[in-house]
Amino acid sequence: MNLSYYARKRIKDYLIHIVMLIILLFTLFPIVWMVYTSLKENTDILVGKIPLSHAHNNVAEIAPDDSSIWILTSDGGINKHNRKTLKESDYKSAQTMTSSFHTDDKYIWISSANHGLLRYSKSDLNKKSEFDLKLPSFDKAKVGSTTIYGTKDKIYFSMKYKGFQQVVEFNKKLGKVVRTFNIKNEFSPSQVQSLFVAGDTLMVGLDTGLLSVDIKSGKIKKGFSIMEYLPLGVEKIKLLSNGKLIIAGNNGAYLFDMSSGNVVKNIYPKAVYGLSVLNGNVYIGTNHGFIAYSAKEPMMASPLGAENLFHQIKRDGTVNPGAKLVPSEVVAIAGLGKNLYVGSTFGRISQYNLNSKKVVNSAVARQGHIVVSWVNYVDMWKNVDFGLYLGNSFFICGISMFFAMIFATMAAYALSRFKFPGSKLFSMAILATQMVPGIMFLIPIYSNFVKFSEITGIPIKGTYYGLIFVYSTFFIPFSVWILRGFFAAIPIELEEAAHIDGCSPFQVFWYVVLPLAIPGIIATGIYIFLTAWDELILAWVLTSADTMTIPVGIRNFVGNYQNRFDLIMAAATVATAPVMLLFFLLQKHIVKGLTAGAVKG
Amino acid sequence: MRFKQLQWSWHKIKKYRFAYIFILPTVLGMLTLHLIPIVQGIYMSFLNLSQFTLDKYLGAPFVWFKNYYDVLINTRSPIRIGLFDAARNTVIYTVVVTFGTLLLGMLVALMVNREFRGKGFIRTLFLFPWVVPTYVTGLLWGFMWQRGVGIINIILVDILHLLPSKPFWLIGPNTIWAIIIPTIWRYWPFSMLLLLAGMQSIPEELYEAADIDGASGWRKFWEITFPLLRPVWSILILFGLIFNVYSFNIVIMMFGFGAGFPGEWGDLLMTNIFRNSFMQWNFGAGAAASVILMLTMILIVNVWFYFYKKAEEETR
Repeated sequence: MNLSYYARKRIKDYLIHIVMLIILLFTLFPIVWMVYTSLKENTDILVGKIPLSHAHNNVAEIAPDDSSIWILTSDGGINKHNRKTLKESDYKSAQTMTSSFHTDDKYIWISSANHGLLRYSKSDLNKKSEFDLKLPSFDKAKVGSTTIYGTKDKIYFSMKYKGFQQVVEFNKKLGKVVRTFNIKNEFSPSQVQSLFVAGDTLMVGLDTGLLSVDIKSGKIKKGFSIMEYLPLGVEKIKLLSNGKLIIAGNNGAYLFDMSSGNVVKNIYPKAVYGLSVLNGNVYIGTNHGFIAYSAKEPMMASPLGAENLFHQIKRDGTVNPGAKLVPSEVVAIAGLGKNLYVGSTFGRISQYNLNSKKVVNSAVARQGHIVVSWVNYVDMWKNVDFGLYLGNSFFICGISMFFAMIFATMAAYALSRFKFPGSKLFSMAILATQMVPGIMFLIPIYSNFVKFSEITGIPIKGTYYGLIFVYSTFFIPFSVWILRGFFAAIPIELEEAAHIDGCSPFQVFWYVVLPLAIPGIIATGIYIFLTAWDELILAWVLTSADTMTIPVGIRNFVGNYQNRFDLIMAAATVATAPVMLLFFLLQKHIVKGLTAGAVKG
Repeated sequence: MRFKQLQWSWHKIKKYRFAYIFILPTVLGMLTLHLIPIVQGIYMSFLNLSQFTLDKYLGAPFVWFKNYYDVLINTRSPIRIGLFDAARNTVIYTVVVTFGTLLLGMLVALMVNREFRGKGFIRTLFLFPWVVPTYVTGLLWGFMWQRGVGIINIILVDILHLLPSKPFWLIGPNTIWAIIIPTIWRYWPFSMLLLLAGMQSIPEELYEAADIDGASGWRKFWEITFPLLRPVWSILILFGLIFNVYSFNIVIMMFGFGAGFPGEWGDLLMTNIFRNSFMQWNFGAGAAASVILMLTMILIVNVWFYFYKKAEEETR
């Protein structure tokens, strides 16, 4: 090639740069991957899925009004669509998890386990209010879903997790929690799955039964055990015009007579995903469509019932008559005029015309927001006493570093400046300590400590000072080895001059040599800190539950959670972050100090 | 005469009083936590020290060289089984890791030792793996090597389609690579740092003179850089050999989260001795194996010193 020398040089330089950056990428990848997986859901990790999850955008509620239809998805998505064309006209994500909704004329209310109660204005979705619930039992870190029931001026809601044994009454006008109903009852412990208000009675569907609560007095009127019919609990409650209730769950839908407390009739025998009462009909969402019953007794499947309705709709929401499709659960049904709006899992919504008995339009709600599982860190922190371990590690490593540095500096200075009898033996001994397998020290040190405690009564095993003593002593030899190089690099003339001026040897050391050696001492100190932070075996044997350091804590933790890679990676990140930060802040000193010592020594 | 000698050494002690005071804490610490335990450890290797006799500790029955016989010769003793596999693995592991870290460190040091923007920042980024604790390295790579959910198999098979099916990394002969690669990943930045510092201390005039003579980059490396860096890389080889033979954390955390058996191709001497000592309660044999290993290391280090001195004299 006819390239000039400089052109070739530049191309070569460019190529080297690219290769270097590729190596850098490979180098950093494992660390990035560690942090990234610690933010993923374990189920995604276990199926080998690389991207972060989207929150499930199941349709939780459909609310039609005059001009538009609101599709509210369980990830907190508020989709405003045109009523006729089903085209999206506005969208806002509340970024909540497994939420439930209540809509009124002006507002959309969202209750979620991680954000509490939120309110969005229908006219302007950017207007958002978050309410401080002031509930001691509400824990944002808990994962769970919620249930909500709203009346004209009140909202009743509850969180679906164990330990939240309450139904909260919220006043819309006052904007605060008015009171809470304690629902501890004969079926406890239980969690609330559904709510319904009929006159002065609050019906509470539990995973273990059904309660009726008097709203005025706040007392439980009666508890009904329906385990025989719905062993997994009452997930849905609706009131019919004749005063009877429909209760539904994973094992079917039943007609329930409140006054007698008996299940009157089984309406539908399989799992119920959605339940609505509209225009004198009961609509039940099933796992592949919906079915309609007349609300009058005896309940018969009305000609409207179209079990295979959703076989007509593609996964992406487009209508495709005659095509067989993956079934999806119908979770929400709402009606307006001659149209029925049917929402299902994967965020699909279809407009079903009651006259033509056909799907006229369909649309898909926006995909859920990306879920970053910060909760992994919370879970991990709850399962292990990481605060204690971090504190222990910082304390033990810090103090050990302090002592090791003092003694190593002294020894290294003596070794580099004085050819005293035994100096050669001493420096040989220092190198020799590095050649002994650490495991050989383990049993003798352990046994000696136990013997020492037996004789003197002073405990050593499981104490801070025991491990500090061991660490300081173990890290001295290597520190001496590094520091000797620093002292050797300091010109001896300075010391001689100070000596002639009448300084004592200690004064020479303190005022002349030490200031010059500080960078090296800092660098060695940080190196010792990193090594102590890394130490596993000695800490394993010599600590007890109170003095455990990070590596031992992590080892015990991962032994108990072998398939929870999300938690393990969260723990690994927490163990790495402090030293990484320390290194990043002090890297100039480390690089300068270590290299100076190693190159000159 | 004898009196005079005594006086002389007393004089010396007085003269070097300062130095002796300065090394005193270190010497005391090393006596209690290094010398005495080593002597005890060597003595332990002659005892029948198991879970039944651990209470008696050094009063356990003295069995002379039975432990050594069990470790080296008796093919039916439990500790002997797998020990030679572990020794083979340790040799492969140590040599590949030591020279791998050196090679990669040298390569990247040469690349970083140019003038470009953000040099300091890139060097810091390169150093990050060296700060990751070794137990985290073991956990992290143990997760990455998983057959089904590990990212390495996902990249190799699902994304790049380099292999027809997902291989096992933590079972079988692949294991040796599964422990070598993370160790190199963890330690090479340190070699790079020291080599880079060494390169920066080489006077620029040497390269300028070589440029005038028309030497190629390859030639400049072998004639100038490599020989002048000898103090750095020879220290790196020495400490690399010692550290890697005694490497423990990465491997123990990668298999069974600190309690598993790394398998025929993943077991190192350290993990083997640890398992025999603490999980099969065979402390005497463990001590004997440690002593043999220690003697071997002392021999190797002395050989290294011999050649190092010889090479140094030749260059003078």
